[in-house]
Amino acid sequence: MSDIRLYNSDDDEVVSGLRALYAAPAGEGYWNELEARIMARVADVELGWWTELDRWVRPALAAAAVALVAAGFAMFSAHRAEQEIAAESMLTAPAVPVSTAIRPTLQDDREARIRFLFGR
Amino acid sequence: MTAALALDSDRMSLPMSDVRAEERALVVAAQRGDAEAFAALVRQHQRRAYAVCRAIVLTHEDAEDAVQEGFLHAFKALDRFLPDQPFGAWLYRIMANASLDLVRRRKVRDADELPDTVPMPFRDPGESDELRRRLNLALTKLTDRQRSVIVLHDLEGFTHGEIGAMLGIPEGTARSDLHHARAALRRLLKDVRSDL
Repeated sequence: MSDIRLYNSDDDEVVSGLRALYAAPAGEGYWNELEARIMARVADVELGWWTELDRWVRPALAAAAVALVAAGFAMFSAHRAEQEIAAESMLTAPAVPVSTAIRPTLQDDREARIRFLFGR
Repeated sequence: MTAALALDSDRMSLPMSDVRAEERALVVAAQRGDAEAFAALVRQHQRRAYAVCRAIVLTHEDAEDAVQEGFLHAFKALDRFLPDQPFGAWLYRIMANASLDLVRRRKVRDADELPDTVPMPFRDPGESDELRRRLNLALTKLTDRQRSVIVLHDLEGFTHGEIGAMLGIPEGTARSDLHHARAALRRLLKDVRSDL
């Protein structure tokens, strides 16, 4: 502590005078009563909706995190089930007639052009 | 011996780290809504809180009001307090703010009827004492801040830094306020000493 105290005897007298002027009540009963008054006022305090909200923030965040993990797991399971169904349906698919597409030949193109020119 | 006195003497015999740990546990419990823990904090700090408020306001009654207001503010703000910080320093800043608010409100209300002496405190043991009467009068010649600084420093033992934090002023200002307050009191009391 770097504080400079009053250092002469006159100042000591001043300090003792100040001490008397600012003396706190000494009786233990006074302090018990003050404590009771403070606690009575504290008990009446309405903490307000924001304080209530503040109290629920952590549980709400934890619940949100759990819900997120559960939703992710559910989505993953659903996706996996879909894939399994798709693979199974491919493996067990009934034989269907395969239609083949026949690519037009150049010969056909040429004939078409001639028909177009002569048709004009 | 009362329960509170027993508690105080028990605490005084504990090492500082244990006192801190005990206080931290009380703060954490109070933050979780334990009213008994908050009551224990009130019990531990109300005397010092009163001294801080009394140094700033003019009367014992105002100091009592400020202490109650201060504890109410502290209770409402408890969720924002970090338990690893010193609780006392935080609480006394709240007490100082509650006292300064009360002084401001009083000034607005009593603007037209300012007393020309500092009202006598609760139980004035020095009413018949000329030096104390003059001291009381001399205190009215100081600014509110100078008076608060000299009482907080010379009677309550707070450091300049702690006083600065409580009153919202730089440490250097607290130091110079103390210097000026002492000089003014010495000057004002010089005559009465020679008369006595």
